[in-house]
Amino acid sequence: MSTSTTAPPTGRTGASAPAQAPKKHISDRAKAERKLGWLLAGPALAVMLLVTAYPIAQAFYDSLFDYRLTDPENRSFTGLSNYLVVLTDQLWWQSVGVTLLITVVTVAVELVLGFGLALVMNKALKAIRPFLRAVILIPYAVITVVSAFAWQFAFDINTGFINSWFAWLPGVGADTDWFGDFGTSIFVVCLAEIWKTTPFISLLLLAGLAQVPEVLQEAAQVDGATWWQRMRRVTIPNMKAAIMVALLFRTLDAFRVFDSIFVMTAGANGTETVSFLAYRQTISRLEIGLGSAVSVLLFLSVVLIAFVFIKGFKVDLSQARGDS
Amino acid sequence: MPDSVVHTGRGRRSAASGRRARRALGATAAAVVLASGLAACGSGDSGVPQLDWYINPDSGGQAEIAARCTEAANGAYTISVSTLPRDSPSQREQLVRRLAANDSSIDIMSLDPPYIPEFAQAGFFAPMPAEVADEVTTDVVQSAIDGSTWDGELVTVPFWANTQLLWYRTSVAEAAGLDMTQPVTWDQLTQAAQDQQVRLGVQGIRSESLTVWLNALIESAGGSVIAENSTNPDDIQLGLDSEAGMRAAEVMRDISASGTGGPALSTANEDTTATDFEGDVGGFQVNYPFVYPRALGAVEAGTLDQSVVDDYGWALYPRVDADTETAPPYGGINLGVGAFSEHPDLAYDATRCITSTENQAYYFTSNGNPASDTAVYEDPEVLEAFPMAPTILESLELAVPRPQTPYYSEVSGGIQREYHPTAAIDPEQTPQDATELIQAVLRKDQLL
Amino acid sequence: MSTKEKTGWIIGGIVIALYALFPIAWIVSLSLKSSADLNAGGFLPATGFSWDNYSLILTGSASDLFLPALRNSFGICLIATFISVFLSMFAAYAIARLDFPGKKFILGTALGVAIFPVISIVTPLFNLWRQIGLYDTWPGLIIPYLSLTLPLSIWTMSAFFREIPWEMEQAAQVDGATTWQAFRKVIVPLAAPGVFTTAIIAFFIAWNDFVYGISLTSTGASRPVPAALGLFSGASQFEDPTGAIAAAAVIVTIPVVILVLVFQRRIVAGLTNGAVKG
Repeated sequence: MSTSTTAPPTGRTGASAPAQAPKKHISDRAKAERKLGWLLAGPALAVMLLVTAYPIAQAFYDSLFDYRLTDPENRSFTGLSNYLVVLTDQLWWQSVGVTLLITVVTVAVELVLGFGLALVMNKALKAIRPFLRAVILIPYAVITVVSAFAWQFAFDINTGFINSWFAWLPGVGADTDWFGDFGTSIFVVCLAEIWKTTPFISLLLLAGLAQVPEVLQEAAQVDGATWWQRMRRVTIPNMKAAIMVALLFRTLDAFRVFDSIFVMTAGANGTETVSFLAYRQTISRLEIGLGSAVSVLLFLSVVLIAFVFIKGFKVDLSQARGDS
Repeated sequence: MPDSVVHTGRGRRSAASGRRARRALGATAAAVVLASGLAACGSGDSGVPQLDWYINPDSGGQAEIAARCTEAANGAYTISVSTLPRDSPSQREQLVRRLAANDSSIDIMSLDPPYIPEFAQAGFFAPMPAEVADEVTTDVVQSAIDGSTWDGELVTVPFWANTQLLWYRTSVAEAAGLDMTQPVTWDQLTQAAQDQQVRLGVQGIRSESLTVWLNALIESAGGSVIAENSTNPDDIQLGLDSEAGMRAAEVMRDISASGTGGPALSTANEDTTATDFEGDVGGFQVNYPFVYPRALGAVEAGTLDQSVVDDYGWALYPRVDADTETAPPYGGINLGVGAFSEHPDLAYDATRCITSTENQAYYFTSNGNPASDTAVYEDPEVLEAFPMAPTILESLELAVPRPQTPYYSEVSGGIQREYHPTAAIDPEQTPQDATELIQAVLRKDQLL
Repeated sequence: MSTKEKTGWIIGGIVIALYALFPIAWIVSLSLKSSADLNAGGFLPATGFSWDNYSLILTGSASDLFLPALRNSFGICLIATFISVFLSMFAAYAIARLDFPGKKFILGTALGVAIFPVISIVTPLFNLWRQIGLYDTWPGLIIPYLSLTLPLSIWTMSAFFREIPWEMEQAAQVDGATTWQAFRKVIVPLAAPGVFTTAIIAFFIAWNDFVYGISLTSTGASRPVPAALGLFSGASQFEDPTGAIAAAAVIVTIPVVILVLVFQRRIVAGLTNGAVKG
């Protein structure tokens, strides 16, 4: 799964309106335009629906069956019992907990770190700005699996250098086995995720920073507001939309974390995430029914998170889209 | 996208064929594939049937054997190899998914023995001709025959057979006062490693390696992971909670608690264990024979002193109890012939060639993978490359396969979840928890 | 600006550069270690640089695994990028310029697809692919990759297209240019940067895929590099292929680093949709 997810356009509130057709022959023109619109956008829409809507419908259908891939003859309809099994299983809730933990920790740290990076880039000398921009993009562009291997090898007790470099820290020594228990494993996983995706957040926030009107900043400065006051009263409120959009997308992305877990721990020490659990039921255990139920629940969780963000926190995607 | 179609065809061919075959096929392959659509498999362009052999990654030995057998076939068939993932569970995932789709491109497959029952039960193997069965079991170690058998029938062709030995530093064993000509127990080794402040290398990582270790311990204690076998998952009776099972859990816990397994026991695999054994803390380890060529390679590269390798000693896998014979792990690779292959007869022919004494000897000496054919162990070249070959043979005769069940991955997955990390094992509780988990998983009442 | 402030910025820049490049430097260093050096525990190779790992995957025993994977990755990602940019070009044009009901629905669908958990659809796709013969083929990966690249392409490109002063086209026509000339001489140069930027970002997304790669392929016929990384073997079955993985990781990172260095400004503009000036 990609951790470098889609960037939503962060609202250019004043985006130019589409060129309006002249008001003559409105019905004919509108009809023609409607037809052309669907003709042009239709293929892309059809492809998107085909590669996602059909499989998720199939997954939902499969989740109603007791179905093992190697034993297709004994496939039988069991209704919602797969869901009952999943939802009453402590492992499912543990995975949800781990996933939420990773999500909350990484997104929180990324937001703070990304904001700092954005501030630096926003204010940095013109001369070093292109350099910073290029450098910051590199983690974003690196393949997640490669990043996971790099961090794993760095912390590995045999191949890594972390133990010898940080031996002066209490609790770290030549014998520290980072992947030996839950806490340290999750720590390394989060570190890898944060390294890789903070640049993405910082770029979105940088775009948000650019939207804060200079006039307001200057006015506040004239009024004698401290840096922190200006930040809290002027900068952050004015880039709320950008922050929320960045949060929404990173949260959804973090919730689907798979690659890093697969590479670094393979689920050892209770580090299974929901995506990993789904993978193990369907691909390793070959229990298509049970695995599909986990998949559908994962899908519903993602929808729920998106819904909470959009309705609860009032993330204005239409503004983000620029067509308000 | 005609481009992609062409490339698809080429990719399959080039990954799959030997150098000679590639030259011959190269130019026409794309055209052939284009003409026959995406599912171009089976026969080559010259009418000579092409057998696809799915191999586990190795140091090139299987590809070489494929080339040799292609030559030996004298135009009857050609063999091309495709590489599977590195770990055996992923190898199984790939093969099962393809076979469940009745994939006819799988002619021969290199299989880790524990998954053989699952494949056999699902009908993924072509029936073995009786004369092939006779031939490929003659002079073959018992554990390899056991590992190739399901439900009383030989379903795969024994290829190479792996087993773990107890490796020790002669100097350390002497200092500890251990008589290595006599069988030693785990308790003795733990004690000796503690006294000498060296490692007793075992594989505690959450993977197949852990199941290998637990299974060997339970079998050595006189029990079995599966006490009562059945093809019906509900009727499988587990032996984890037995006296032998508890004894095995005790050994695991004691070694973990003693610290002799090293600080990274919970992520220790065969390779890290071998690294430790080559280092200053090396004392004892249970491991496969690859550790020997590995050390020789390090000497050649100048990173290991010859004196270290000269200090290497080997013996049979440790016993759990002094008076009960040990039951070392059995592993390796057996060859299955795909049920949907278009040329099962030729494929079985090819397996006979692949597993010939000569090829097994070649594979042993070049790739370090021990033969299942007992005749190989008389080959002077083998004996020179592996002075411990007689011990390997002896170990293979005693070795016991991991639980044979079509639900192996559930059983092994459940074991790994409950017995990892080994430091947290409670001999009273863990076997019982694992039994309950595995039974619930087999009933599909729980996730894994 | 005072020298002190300047120094401050430069130090800040160095810290950021260290943060971003350190793991990359580490994997490069690891890939240059000789096999004996891998477990020595230092950051830099202790016994000098060794190209063994590279020769292993480029010309040695692992090249049969790596080179086809590299070719697959390039081919599949480029085709997927091309198709998705091609399709979304029309869609984005319609969204940016035309007024028709369903616009919101299309953008909403793109959003929904973008947040879709890939793992949820891998199994049904696998079942479908093996039935229709797409399993382990290039199209079998290209089509699912579209689900990753299309939403992003539509969003990014429609934002770009909104900024194009379309009235210039009419102005050119008034000046006597034909419709085709006006389109080619005025609109194409204006739209090209947006299309190009979208293509780069779409390529990154496709290049990054892992789940589809490990689930929908099984041989060198279509297996991409991220999936192949897990397939390397050491000198024997049980030896860890750390060096080979590191070398392969470096090689697949080179193209994206080059893209980033050359097109950093466009990429930032694309990711934030032209909101950043400077």
